[in-house]
Amino acid sequence: MEYLGQYKAVYKAKSGCEDILAKAQDGGIVTSMFAYALETGIIDGAIVAGPGSEPYKPEPMIATTVEELFASRGTKYSVSPNLALIKEATRSYGLDKIGIVGTPCQIQAVRKGQLYPVGLRDVPDKIVLALGIFCMENFPYQGLFQMVEDHCATKIENVTKMDIGKGKFSVYTERGVNSQIPLKVTHKYEQPGCHVCLDYVANMADISTGSVGTPDGWSTVFVRSAAGEAAFNKAVEAGWIIAESMDGVKPGLELVEKLATEKITKNQKYLEHRAHKDHAALKPLRNPYI
Amino acid sequence: MSKVVEISPTTRHEGHSKLVLKVNDEGIIERGDWLSITPVRGVEKLAIGKTYEQVPKIASRVCGICPIAHTLAATEAMEASMGVEIPDDAYLLRVILQCANRLHSHALHDILALPDLYLPGTDIKVNPFSPEEPVRSVAKRIQTLRMIGQTIGEIVGGEAVHPSNPRVGGMYKNITPRAKAKIFDLAKQGLKLAREQMEFMIALEENYMKRDWAEMCGREVAIPKDLGYHNQGYMAAAPMYGSSSLDLNPEWDPARWLEVRPWDWYMGEEEITLEDPAYPIGGTTKAGTKAWPQMQACTGVPLYDGQPVEVGPRARLVKYQNYDRKGAMGLNIARAMEYMDCIYKMIEAVDAIDTSAPVCADVIPQGDGEIGWAANEAPRGCDVHLAKVRNGKVEWFSMLVPTTWNFPTCSRALTGAPWELAEVIVRAYDPCVSCATHMIVLDENNKLVAQKLLE
Repeated sequence: MEYLGQYKAVYKAKSGCEDILAKAQDGGIVTSMFAYALETGIIDGAIVAGPGSEPYKPEPMIATTVEELFASRGTKYSVSPNLALIKEATRSYGLDKIGIVGTPCQIQAVRKGQLYPVGLRDVPDKIVLALGIFCMENFPYQGLFQMVEDHCATKIENVTKMDIGKGKFSVYTERGVNSQIPLKVTHKYEQPGCHVCLDYVANMADISTGSVGTPDGWSTVFVRSAAGEAAFNKAVEAGWIIAESMDGVKPGLELVEKLATEKITKNQKYLEHRAHKDHAALKPLRNPYI
Repeated sequence: MSKVVEISPTTRHEGHSKLVLKVNDEGIIERGDWLSITPVRGVEKLAIGKTYEQVPKIASRVCGICPIAHTLAATEAMEASMGVEIPDDAYLLRVILQCANRLHSHALHDILALPDLYLPGTDIKVNPFSPEEPVRSVAKRIQTLRMIGQTIGEIVGGEAVHPSNPRVGGMYKNITPRAKAKIFDLAKQGLKLAREQMEFMIALEENYMKRDWAEMCGREVAIPKDLGYHNQGYMAAAPMYGSSSLDLNPEWDPARWLEVRPWDWYMGEEEITLEDPAYPIGGTTKAGTKAWPQMQACTGVPLYDGQPVEVGPRARLVKYQNYDRKGAMGLNIARAMEYMDCIYKMIEAVDAIDTSAPVCADVIPQGDGEIGWAANEAPRGCDVHLAKVRNGKVEWFSMLVPTTWNFPTCSRALTGAPWELAEVIVRAYDPCVSCATHMIVLDENNKLVAQKLLE
């Protein structure tokens, strides 16, 4: 399992709360973890991708109550610069214990910021729970808009859920009109920056989660750090999360590994391409995990 | 026959300065010159042509101890020039920031001043880094007070050092109710500590005044009863916050201010004729060395009504609370007495804040080149910034900072004290020298000075 990072345990899990599951992307793990952590004081605020000015345009927000947190349920397949709020959370928001959710690259940035807190005075020790989400690539809002409006021929206001899975990008609407396009079509809308990323499962998070590897309505959860383990186990005990063993789960970790390998080998190739002398204008990048 | 002794550099304060002292045969100072030898920052020239948003940020970089005072003074000087009125809640946030800055700065000064003082009833000087009680708990208390000041500064100002939140027109962000609660909690914690610290410092300072001698250079130096007395006036713009040219009754008057060049003020070239290798740390300057205060001083000499004046805690207390104690210890006691004001004012301001109110003015005029000034009562005294803004660009900018005012005043206060205790007097002013250093205005005479310096 070369590309899945270090982890203490891996589970098939979903939220124990019906309200969360009703609008969750998959198992509602991130919302449940933060809700539990907020309720019990493990964190006093969480930086999440909240609703923005346009439908499905995420905007970072700081949730200090479960009600605020619920406004951010579900995945929005566009960039939410959550790190932009990390310092402000400790300043005018007055938080001491912060939870943050992010894509693998954002979690890398969190960890790097903790290691070298340039411009993050008094912030590192206040980040207590960093949740990572599996990420193959991300889309700028304009790209997502075009995928939904043009390729899926759906008005984005009417969309109730978007999903990527089984090689397809799916859009669901309230009226029951669903459309799907093959992922291949979406590739040209990806952010170019995603093509240098060598992390699929947020190796540096306290807990990372995503839908891949478990049946619909469930999430795969990697518990990585001691802090993550303590919080996750307590959330399971308190009934906020239902966790089961990954043994015998289909498609299981093999699929996670397969997709991780796919992403990383593809991006490795791109990195080598950039490093080639014929492309001197493109800066070679180093693998952050070596 | 008077001798000349030089203490260079002076220690346990911010920045670089030195003392050139003419003393009589008994070692009593006849004339003292205390001067800044910090290299010129050049902020006032850097500011020209920059936008009014940039200049307060640049101005705050002049120093890291009271950047809050410089940010606020420069921001308000811009506002005064452009005629911007800020919302009430923005003002309250600035007041909290001001109190937080003063709290941490005064606590820091205690660490610097304590090694001069004696534990009452003993002949032991205080070492604030000693692991022994009672000093240990005092050091911890000072650090906690500083933590409280800096954390509140961080919440309200965005950063404790070089605050990012103040802007021309108010503040960028209001605080959340949770942050408000946190400030309350911190201030309440600080209230008890500040009272204890104030009482402790005053006890030690009173005790110092009662003593006959202090140990210096391995000998007992007699402490005169009028240590650090001077007959100069006092200048303050407010008990806590400040004043600006937008006020109905401005508390500072630029017409009464005049700046003299160091060439005309300080001593001419002198040869050092007295040295003491036992003086901490490493002895005074060797005999035979030359000192040239009028050439080496980097500050201008500001006068108010034609005289040097004192600014700082005592000036505020004298002007607004009828305080009457003189001398170095009188100034230290005044500083200790300000602890409680910082916390009470902070609690009052945070209580009054509406966390959902706007904190930035709707309209910000871009300025027509009119002169505006703002005086901010920094921890060390009245910090006046003056600016002219036209069409959003700064045409002229000047900083009249507290220690610049105190340099000539303190120099006069040195007269009559034993030279070994000159630094005790200097430290009572809590000097912060780096911002005091100024560009010298070039004119016929000054060109000569600049040339000589280059040689």
